[in-house]
Amino acid sequence: MNHIFKLGWRSIWRNRRRTIITLSSMTLGLVLAVFFIAMAEGVYEKMTDDAVRMLGGHITLEHPEYRDAPAVDLTVPEVDRYRKDLEAIPAVESTKVLVLGQGVLKSGGGAVGITLIGVEPATEKLTSPMARKIVAGSYLKDDDTRKVLIGSQLARQLKLGKERDIKRIVSFWQSLFSVFDLPMDDSIAELARLHLAIGKKVVITSTNVDGDLVEELVRVRGIFKMGAPEMDGYLIQVPIDLARKVYGLGKNDVTQLGVVLKSADDQEVVLAAARRLTQGQPVTVLPWEDVLPDLAAYIRIDGGSNIIFQGIILFLIMFTIFNSILMSVLERTREFAVLLAIGTPPKVLRLQVMVETALIGLLGCVLGLGLGSLLAYFFQVNGMDLRGMMPEGSTVSGFAFDLIIYPKLSFEMLAWVGGLVFGAIMILGLYPMRKATRMPLADLLR
Amino acid sequence: MKTIVKMENVSKDYGQGDVVVHALRGVNLEIAKGDFAALAGPSGSGKTTLLNMISGLDKPSAGKVWVDEAEVTAMGRTAKSRLRLNRIGFVFQAYNLIPVLTAYENAEYVLMLQGVAAKERKQKVMDLLKQVGLAGMEKRFPRELSGGQQQRVAIARAIAAEPALVLADEPTANVDSATAAALLDLMVQLNEERQATFLFSTHDQNVMDRSRRLILFKDGRIDQNGTPAELQANK
Repeated sequence: MNHIFKLGWRSIWRNRRRTIITLSSMTLGLVLAVFFIAMAEGVYEKMTDDAVRMLGGHITLEHPEYRDAPAVDLTVPEVDRYRKDLEAIPAVESTKVLVLGQGVLKSGGGAVGITLIGVEPATEKLTSPMARKIVAGSYLKDDDTRKVLIGSQLARQLKLGKERDIKRIVSFWQSLFSVFDLPMDDSIAELARLHLAIGKKVVITSTNVDGDLVEELVRVRGIFKMGAPEMDGYLIQVPIDLARKVYGLGKNDVTQLGVVLKSADDQEVVLAAARRLTQGQPVTVLPWEDVLPDLAAYIRIDGGSNIIFQGIILFLIMFTIFNSILMSVLERTREFAVLLAIGTPPKVLRLQVMVETALIGLLGCVLGLGLGSLLAYFFQVNGMDLRGMMPEGSTVSGFAFDLIIYPKLSFEMLAWVGGLVFGAIMILGLYPMRKATRMPLADLLR
Repeated sequence: MKTIVKMENVSKDYGQGDVVVHALRGVNLEIAKGDFAALAGPSGSGKTTLLNMISGLDKPSAGKVWVDEAEVTAMGRTAKSRLRLNRIGFVFQAYNLIPVLTAYENAEYVLMLQGVAAKERKQKVMDLLKQVGLAGMEKRFPRELSGGQQQRVAIARAIAAEPALVLADEPTANVDSATAAALLDLMVQLNEERQATFLFSTHDQNVMDRSRRLILFKDGRIDQNGTPAELQANK
């Protein structure tokens, strides 16, 4: 066996240039594949993580009829017991409760239809990305009773800052900038508008569970900017007790009990545990894919097209490798004929060609996966800033697409890509291998 | 004396339809064990074809061939391969060494295939290279050797496994006359010392003169067969 490896190793380097070109194309293809797959994984994970932490968690418990006809009176029973049991599962990071409802937010400047989310501020601050996207004011506090968190676009639509005050602030900054001869853009006016909105009064109007019209006067505590018009323009957060009051719910009533996991990889295990906990109860346990079907569908479709794209690149590279191996066999037909003539068993010769193929495949995989991993890891640590290349406010199913991307490398992904490429190379090597021993020996030795 | 090669009514035709070349026409031949025989004749007379039939590199159109009492014409690919590995050594006109292996590794290759132990292999190959006059050149690759030196390595490779039969297709054709004479001396010596049967195809008069048996070929048939002295007497 040793001499076959020696012969194989030396043979692949007898045409150094061809081997280097073959390895380079394989390496380049694998670097691209690893990097783009890791990038997509990173994007999907970030989008999913943000969405589930802001809404119903990786796993959501809700009333069995809620998905078909969302209504605030379809609440989850025995919330405290479920929370306690779920939080005892090691894979669970935290649980959160929500009251989700519809309504209208009114100000002196206008009225806009909204989705209201009643949250526990202390829990939400730890889990939800919304708490980290405050651009004016501050996030809700547990002792807030009549406070609301609104989106930047909603603040603009409700005209919460007086135009006269905005102009005065802009003119002040203009004069200051002109002293230092600095250019000024519209962001000052926008900032002024948002800051002037803090503390302003707005009215939440909705109907409660009894069908009565209710109105609650609240003040703006803070303004968030998620980057998605669908969120910044119509989502509001209030303390959960205020939401219960608006909708006329009981003290412990919630429309969703969300489970946030330490790692999304544990979803299936916790999902099964949650289903066991709620067996026989009027509660349904849903994975986030069922709660956010548009986002899940986007990830499936985009992920699928990404795999097809990478597959095409790798397929083309396979032909380079196939060509290289086949040429290496065809240009050595006389040598193979000599080896067969002096008594080399055909299976040993086939093994030698397979060893050469495997060595090229292994070298290419090690180089490609190694360099691809290094590249992806660099950006996994430092992030890849796409803000200069893509417009801000890009959204997927209403969720903002973060323009600083952190690829996600995983051993499983590397094993899959490496295994697939190496396997395909070995399959492609079967033809040259067969060719090496099916030769007219007498003609070749003439 | 025991027969090492036996051919019975062997024919080989190339081509189809109207254009058929009769490379061999009903050849009957026996080579005795330990012989040092030369096949001579004009180009295209069937010398190389005959060697190919004996080694199983090519199939006869008709007839049967035996090597060391085993019928080559009845063997499959694997059996022929085993026969060549264990019973036949090859020396080619163009040396045909493996370019990525050193002189030592080329000579060692067949022993490796036979599964000979490393220590025994090393002893054998070093002795052989010394015997063929290549001591100190073990680590040289074929490109670093002259034509004559490469043919010496090829001879060492051919006899390393101590085959019963060495087939040599014009082994002196690509070297100068002094080198050819030295190679011939070497092969005569190996024939005498190791009792290996040598069967050459050749145009070289020196080879014919040194052979103990001369088989003259003409148009795919054996024209004359005997010792050089006998053939000389028949002229």
